[in-house]
Amino acid sequence: MSHLLDRLNFFKTLRKDTFADGHGQTTIENRDWEDTYRSRWRHDKIVRSTHGVNCTGSCSWKIYVKSGIVTWETQQTDYPRTRAGMPNHEPRGCARGASYSWYLYSANRVKTPLIRGRLLKLWREKRRTLAPVAAWAAIQSDPAARASYTRIRGKGGFVRATWEEATEITAAANAYTAKTYGPDRVFGFSPIPAMSMVSYAAGSRYLSLLGGTCMSFYDWYCDLPPASPQTWGEQTDVPESADWYNAGYLILWGSNVPQTRTPDAHFYTEARYRGAKSAVVSPDYAEATKFGDIWLNVKQGTDAALGLAMGHVILREFHLDRQVDYFEDYCRRYTDMPMLVLLEEQDGRLIPGRQLRAADLGGLGQANKPEWKTVGFDDSGKIVVPNGSIGFRWGDAGQWNLEQKADGTEVSLKTTLILDTDHDDIASVDFPWFGGLATNGFENDPRGQVLARNVPIKRLTLADGRDVQVATVFDLLCANYGLDRGLGGKNVARDYDADEPFTPAWAERITGVRRDKIIQVAREFAANAEKTKGRSMIIIGAAMNHWFHMDMNYRSVINMLIFCGCIGQSGGGWAHYVGQEKLRPQTGWAPLAFATDWARPPRHMNSTSAWYAHTDQWRYETVSAREILSPTAPKGDWEQLSLIDYNIRAERMGWLPSAPQLRTNPLELGRKARAEGIEAKDYVARELKAGRLEMSCQDPDAPENWPRNLFVWRSNLLGSSGKGHEYFLKHLLGTDHGVLGRDLGQEGRQKPVEARWHDQAPEGKLDLLVTIDFRMSTTAVYADIVLPTASWYEKDDLNTSDMHPFIHPLQAAVDPAYESRTDWEIFKSIAKKFSEVAPEVLGVETDIVQLPLQHDTAMEVTQPHVADWKRGECDLIPGQTAPAYIAVERDYPNLYARFTSLGPLLDKLGNGGKGIGWNTETEVHHLKALNGVHRDGAAKGLAKIDTAIDAAEVILMLAPETNGEVAVKAWNALTKATGREHAHLALPKEDEKIRFRDIAAQPRKIISSPTWSGIESEEVCYNAGWTNVHELIPWRTLSGRQQLYQDHEWMRAFGETFVTWRPPVDLKTISPAAGKLKAGEKHVILNFITPHQKWGIHSTYSDNLLMLTLNRGGPVVWVSEVDARKAGILDNDWIEVFNSNGVLTARAVVSQRVKEGMTMMYHAQEKIVNTPGSQITGLRGGIHNSVTRTVLKPTHMIGGYAQLSYGFNYYGTVGANRDEFVIIRKMNKVEWLDQPATQEAAE
Amino acid sequence: MKSFQALSALLTYPSAELVEAIPTIRHILHEEGLFGPHRLTDLDRLLKRLATGDLWDLQEDYVLLFDRTRSLSLNLFEHIHGEGRDRGGAMLDLLEIYRAGGLDLDSTELPDHLPVLLEFLSTQSLETAHDVLADAGPILSALAERLARRTSPYAAVLETVSTFAEAGDDAASALLAAQPDDDPNDLAALDQVYAEAQVVFGPDPNAGCPVSRDLLARMDAPQPQPAE
Repeated sequence: MSHLLDRLNFFKTLRKDTFADGHGQTTIENRDWEDTYRSRWRHDKIVRSTHGVNCTGSCSWKIYVKSGIVTWETQQTDYPRTRAGMPNHEPRGCARGASYSWYLYSANRVKTPLIRGRLLKLWREKRRTLAPVAAWAAIQSDPAARASYTRIRGKGGFVRATWEEATEITAAANAYTAKTYGPDRVFGFSPIPAMSMVSYAAGSRYLSLLGGTCMSFYDWYCDLPPASPQTWGEQTDVPESADWYNAGYLILWGSNVPQTRTPDAHFYTEARYRGAKSAVVSPDYAEATKFGDIWLNVKQGTDAALGLAMGHVILREFHLDRQVDYFEDYCRRYTDMPMLVLLEEQDGRLIPGRQLRAADLGGLGQANKPEWKTVGFDDSGKIVVPNGSIGFRWGDAGQWNLEQKADGTEVSLKTTLILDTDHDDIASVDFPWFGGLATNGFENDPRGQVLARNVPIKRLTLADGRDVQVATVFDLLCANYGLDRGLGGKNVARDYDADEPFTPAWAERITGVRRDKIIQVAREFAANAEKTKGRSMIIIGAAMNHWFHMDMNYRSVINMLIFCGCIGQSGGGWAHYVGQEKLRPQTGWAPLAFATDWARPPRHMNSTSAWYAHTDQWRYETVSAREILSPTAPKGDWEQLSLIDYNIRAERMGWLPSAPQLRTNPLELGRKARAEGIEAKDYVARELKAGRLEMSCQDPDAPENWPRNLFVWRSNLLGSSGKGHEYFLKHLLGTDHGVLGRDLGQEGRQKPVEARWHDQAPEGKLDLLVTIDFRMSTTAVYADIVLPTASWYEKDDLNTSDMHPFIHPLQAAVDPAYESRTDWEIFKSIAKKFSEVAPEVLGVETDIVQLPLQHDTAMEVTQPHVADWKRGECDLIPGQTAPAYIAVERDYPNLYARFTSLGPLLDKLGNGGKGIGWNTETEVHHLKALNGVHRDGAAKGLAKIDTAIDAAEVILMLAPETNGEVAVKAWNALTKATGREHAHLALPKEDEKIRFRDIAAQPRKIISSPTWSGIESEEVCYNAGWTNVHELIPWRTLSGRQQLYQDHEWMRAFGETFVTWRPPVDLKTISPAAGKLKAGEKHVILNFITPHQKWGIHSTYSDNLLMLTLNRGGPVVWVSEVDARKAGILDNDWIEVFNSNGVLTARAVVSQRVKEGMTMMYHAQEKIVNTPGSQITGLRGGIHNSVTRTVLKPTHMIGGYAQLSYGFNYYGTVGANRDEFVIIRKMNKVEWLDQPATQEAAE
Repeated sequence: MKSFQALSALLTYPSAELVEAIPTIRHILHEEGLFGPHRLTDLDRLLKRLATGDLWDLQEDYVLLFDRTRSLSLNLFEHIHGEGRDRGGAMLDLLEIYRAGGLDLDSTELPDHLPVLLEFLSTQSLETAHDVLADAGPILSALAERLARRTSPYAAVLETVSTFAEAGDDAASALLAAQPDDDPNDLAALDQVYAEAQVVFGPDPNAGCPVSRDLLARMDAPQPQPAE
């Protein structure tokens, strides 16, 4: 209603009351109109929080609350300032995040605990007469009862339950599983702790106290770029987004910054205003493309060819024809280019082999670990053992640094032997060639199996008397890049127009990008780095990492940066922003999350290998080792092994973790070892050798090796991240599925050698799936129990990002809606219930935990040569030639007491990470004062961790990043290894202790710590590798330098010593599914890729109705105009997308944006929204992962070998999915399947 | 009127307690006779099902309908605001209406949950109940129709409140019957007759934000009638 008439429009009143001696004046007029905005903006409090949907934004938001109801949110604008000359961070936050308060009250929220009705009915029946664990046992031992609820997963049938009952069932199932099969059969999956680290820790702490398995995510999501640990020994470390502003040249390579990094994109804009030039590499016309000064429209999946050609140009113009001093000096100090490589003779040909070690030459005076010390020639032509290689890290205090020294004296290493005086000969060396293996329309380039190229070599006699030839990494690298250096021989080029790998002309043919553009960008990129000392940056997205041969894509790019001295320099470097991987207070968080305050080690598992085995995707493997093996592979039985066999060998040799670990219940093994009075490791070693004990990995389909209970929290495993979705449904859950292909047995193909084959594959391995979520996600729909959790405005938590250096809170602006509870409270209540239920079957037990050879421990230097104990190649020595076996005490009746208190091991053993440790007595003492102590019970005298805020304080107190005193201790601990003083990086902040209330008041910048390779300072932005270059801390690699040459036997076997061109692999999923097409039916076969979407990633979910209205309101698949025409598809038509892995249905978006031959389906579109049934399966069309299946790569399994050593989310197999092809056809009938499924399922 | 409390109970999650209360609910509905014989016949179907059906089936059915099916959400604002910006504000307005009516919400349910609203109305005058439900009429009739399409017996409850809101024959006569006789000598009552009607569902349009005003106007607009 208008207020126009409430006030005078033409008059002012004469009647005035004055007060305060006439300084004040009273007017009388109706002010009701003000209520309009008062009502719109009403609130009684404002709370700071953020959104945790795996969004790297970590944006500060003001949440407005009135009477306990969230009314709206706005961007918070009080970030600490950057320094002069730099733009500030804010405003941060995007429209997707801004819609969250609306989503908070969505009808899709889970209101109460839900349980599958049939399960609850069974439970109540049994529970009337039985104790909890016995009741669960009774259900599990009756196959018909079990199947009655497992077979209807995903088909509704939920009833509400009380918390009391839901937690009791869960706890009883866990106790039964631990007692019957072993605690490691209880799995938990939750991703990205950085987005809400206390919530993550709640579940992982419970699992770790139980002895359950915490599953990795970064590798499974394929966001982990294995090229990073391969090159740097580092999971992923990247510049903060503010550092983009310092760059002079920015390449956006498969990263769609304005769309998927919205709150950071302003730095990219500002950098361009400042004058930075930008090139964009993307196959489609993406949002980012229009911001590029130049667009390289590379064919999808051929990025490595493009990167190699640019590397070719950079080496030619900046390293060979003209040597840039800065580049040359950088490469000599900070890369393995000067290190020597042994050239192995094989069938009369020379092949690059291992990097030469001091041990090969009799130790060269090195008593400690000479087999782990790389060597090079110094200026005088003498072979020296330069500081910094991994051998110096373990056992030589004070020499693990990048000073240009060997044996205490200054040295300058030679990177090349090109001068006539430096080499003994020119030798022809073979490099594997894979370009002739291209299929599916990728450009095939047959040139035989190997390319021989000439390399300058030196002859040496080894300590064992062998005469050998060696070359430097740099000389081999130039040969690998096909550069003609006047040494004669074939397969090299001087002319960019020559059709030789890897010239720009060659790359034009493979990638479709014009050669002049390749040359131009490479030249500009390097020239800028030369003038600015490394300020050229490549922002890179997951797009390139999701290919089977992602390492080639990444290493081609990383090499460009290294050639130009960009890594570790402000404004330069490798900016891989995929997944919120940066858990800044990591070392403070780990004790809380993995309960290392009570027992060490926790059970960690790499999810890719686990899901591959347990969802039986291995039974359908279409890729054989032969197809990816190098023609130059060392002798061995490589071709006989299938991919799961490689994984099994890797587990056996201690390279990768296992879950479950041993076929026999580890609690039983603990009892037996104790009864015999021998140590756990000796007992297990003896039994394994005798064959009385078997590792679970050898028989994933045996019932005692199935995962039995699975918790999924903070994740939509089945709706967004389950590669091979239909295999999950079929084998893990045992419900309706859309798998169209047949397994190896049915197909009569070669079966695995190491993995035991069962003709009948199990269906429904899980006894219990518990999903903890606040919305009814696809994973919740398939769960047996759904527990409603608090969302981001309803809980207290911590959040950090790689995009900015601040630590940020989530805060409970309102109480959790309906009956939901926070993750912390949920797991606390499960822990409590477990403690009540467990004594029925469990007491204080000895659990034997298997631990793979860990990166950043002395275990990373245990296997210089590959040897398998099982095949008699060596003895089984736990922790050396096999996993370590460690006895751990579990106090099951007191699990809850342990959950809610800070255990004694921090006092006893201290804390640490990444290879260094420090004492934490002071911090434990402070925590007792801050959180209070338990007055009685099993945790008497220990600091409380009762609330989520208590838990947050534990993290903040223990982490060097948030406690300056700890930071100084940590740097001093590193000094012991490097012999260099580093504490100056933290000393100015020694007294700073960041508390939860501090970050609630304002996000705080973290403190520099040795956990990370960049620093927080007023001089430079955070940038990865900064401390390696400027503090001379070695990279955690074999040579201690950036490792361009990967010399492990398996790397050599699979042809990836150097980066090279490997076309996408053929997954052969089309022909088994082609029979579903009617004769002559119009269709098109396309490469299926799954980029991040505009209307969800990352800050809200894809079932957000408002976001859906902005697009097509349901799942869509993008198709090019040309392909649409071929298949008779018009824009907005319903289409079916399928291959042997499964089927999905969606609407077609026909667009010029998309490249011919490729189709895109945005990641994580849920099948719970507007998805019709498929004509093929008669089931509701699947999700993007319905047409994918994960394929393992053996090089990712390597362990016990310097940078190639296992770490949780750090190294291991990754879930690639972009090599997939699909058939697309128009649907002629759209069936919504709207009837309830309960009747038919009831038969 | 207790009848609203009865309808509120019928829309809650089926439990043993509810099943036990069915005779009482039936009794109240018949005794107060607020909704007329037709509606009572329809409601009897639901009462019978709740009284005699297998509780597990009833519960599964309820979860599927009201917890899992978005278009049947009993949170009324889901249907007008959805995941829209105004939802928080609208719920707040409702909360204030409850408070003005002397009650504070003491439940984990949100204020716009239909059983919550019905319970509130059971404590208010019949006119208030009529006006409030009339405001919510379009949502109620849409829900009734959706449930009817699924042949769910719950349709009867929604039918009932929606026809009551439309003040159809049955409800109108019930209303008339409930009206006390005029007393021309009662000046206070006379004043009330002349007083402006108070709008109690949603914010006061004279004070509220323009968005909720528009929204109320939209809800008041006549619904398109299906062609005969």
